[in-house]
Amino acid sequence: MKVSVHAFANLRDYAPAGGGKFELALADGATVADLLTALRIPAAVEAVMLVNGRRADTATRLSSDDEVTLFPPMEGG
Amino acid sequence: MHGWCGKILRVDLSRGRITREPLDPQVARSYIGGRGLGIYYLRREVDPAGDAFGPQNKIIMATGPLTGTAAPTGARYVVTTKSPLTGAITCSNSGGNFPAELKKSGHDAVIIEGGSARPVYLWIDGDHAELRPADHLWGRTTHQTDDALRSETHEKAKTAVIGPAGENRVLFAAIMNDRDRAAGRAGVGAVMGAKNLKAVVVRGQREVALADPAAFKAVNTKYREAFKAKTQDAPPALRTHGTAITVVGTQSHGVFPTRNFQQGTFEGWESIYGETLTQKYLVRPKPCFSCPIACGRVTRIPDGPYQGEGEGPEYETVYALGSDCGVDDLAALTKANYECNELGLDTISMGAAIACAMELYEKGFLKESDTGMPLRWGDGDALVRLTRMTARREGFGGLLAEGSLRLATRCGHPELAMVAKGLDFAGYDPRGEQGMGLAYATSPIGGSHMRGDPAYFELLGVPVPADPHTWEDKPPLVAKWQDLFCVIDAAGLCVFFSVRYLVEQDLMVKPVGITELLNAATGAGYSPEEVEKTGERIFNAERLYLQAAGFTRGDDSLPPRITREPMPVGPARGMVCKLEEMLGPYYALRGWTPEGRPSEAKLRQLGLL
Repeated sequence: MKVSVHAFANLRDYAPAGGGKFELALADGATVADLLTALRIPAAVEAVMLVNGRRADTATRLSSDDEVTLFPPMEGG
Repeated sequence: MHGWCGKILRVDLSRGRITREPLDPQVARSYIGGRGLGIYYLRREVDPAGDAFGPQNKIIMATGPLTGTAAPTGARYVVTTKSPLTGAITCSNSGGNFPAELKKSGHDAVIIEGGSARPVYLWIDGDHAELRPADHLWGRTTHQTDDALRSETHEKAKTAVIGPAGENRVLFAAIMNDRDRAAGRAGVGAVMGAKNLKAVVVRGQREVALADPAAFKAVNTKYREAFKAKTQDAPPALRTHGTAITVVGTQSHGVFPTRNFQQGTFEGWESIYGETLTQKYLVRPKPCFSCPIACGRVTRIPDGPYQGEGEGPEYETVYALGSDCGVDDLAALTKANYECNELGLDTISMGAAIACAMELYEKGFLKESDTGMPLRWGDGDALVRLTRMTARREGFGGLLAEGSLRLATRCGHPELAMVAKGLDFAGYDPRGEQGMGLAYATSPIGGSHMRGDPAYFELLGVPVPADPHTWEDKPPLVAKWQDLFCVIDAAGLCVFFSVRYLVEQDLMVKPVGITELLNAATGAGYSPEEVEKTGERIFNAERLYLQAAGFTRGDDSLPPRITREPMPVGPARGMVCKLEEMLGPYYALRGWTPEGRPSEAKLRQLGLL
């Protein structure tokens, strides 16, 4: 299956070819943890994870065409 | 005293008299400083029913015990007064370098009272203070005023000034310090203008005396090292991209206010968010005094019709002058931001008033004969023009200068002002962020995010995430965070560092690190529980002031758009803010009556009776 990913700030560094917005092929039934592994994002790197605009965690299971957003925790606006 | 200077400067503008008085050690302990001292003096000295522009109103500029120390982000001061915009208290907070300089002049606070017959400025040079004529500065921009004042006092002096907007009593005029930092909200600059006080200029060279310098150094090092460890692989997003990176958090959750809060997603967001700002206009990040984050932005628009140089925009400005007006032209909104800084306007209420006007115009409730120009969504040029007209109260700018609620009311549609207690919301739509709705409605100054900011845990993952769509769990969290923000604002710290490093990293945010810093600085021997209780005392004292000014439970409200019109699109689609459901439990756990009044038992417990 394919999901679309939008990564921001330092998490953009883990995107293929450096672009923040990309599609990623994953095995059916993959979780957010599988996605982080596929992108080689170390466990120590903090990330806020959203799937289709809803808060997710590493155990969240992904479906085809899901939109995943990744950004670092932020100190404020 | 240590941490505290133990001295208050009192300036009577009517008589031209300046006196000094001691800070009562028991008051210092019970209210810490900053926002706490502000409400302490306001309750004692300013009639809540009085005219905000009258000579009986006072302006309390107060630092905290950590202001001017080496504590991370020990840069803040708070300006407390009765607001001309809302009739409520306002306590607006700012960083930069002026607050630390004020503290180093040997004063915890300056209380400004009365009113001057002629324009004046206050010059504080350590122990020496005097009022000087300011006729020659009247009408000048904040930057021109800063240049002139430093040239006629001391080149290293720091300034807090008003621009033409404050002089003209624009109801949301700001006090600008260090040129581009703002104590922005609810009209503190207009009160200064009404008093004919153009500026406070200060030179201070005295280091803050610490109770236990070795312990202070150790605690300070511990938290700075924690920051370094967390950011060693990647700098904080706030340093790299500024607060405008927060658009990512709001847009992705569908709470980025768009076209006067008609929806929570903005199609043009990628044109105006932090990473685009970095690529196009960033010159360099700029830290406040003693800050390791450096979220400030020095920016430059190199060419085109909006060519210019200055600071900003911050996230709140990107929302208010950008998405909320449907503007996706980053140069235009940045230019309007520069204008706001130089004219001395709060960018949030300026943008919100224009957004409200645009909706009124688009719906036919305002005509071109009223506005003098078309007011279509997305018109970046109108932003810049209206900002200038508002500061000088020219034409339609005279109506905008009264703020969104008075404008919408005059057009017969007060429900189109996106406000709580008359103060415009910050950049978060409460329909998709339930805790924010409760925070706006119960904030003592009205629709502010900075009186206990649920966006941290609802959107930004700090210190740990909570679901933004649930409301049942929010009353205790909002109350806890409101009290914490009182403590941060009283101590003289910035929220940005404090919420990640100086509190326990769970949703209950016990202020352990803040307590350690306060104790090393002051020797007061606070427990974290006493510090928390101090925060609760400040919040309740502010509530009492509101009550005395005539505010009731009915004022803890949000516009019907937020509580009755379901969000039309995006991740929060179909949602409204469950404010009524949250208010009852919130009052109960605060120890307030069902009418929202602090109970006698609660007041006794907090020493407020």
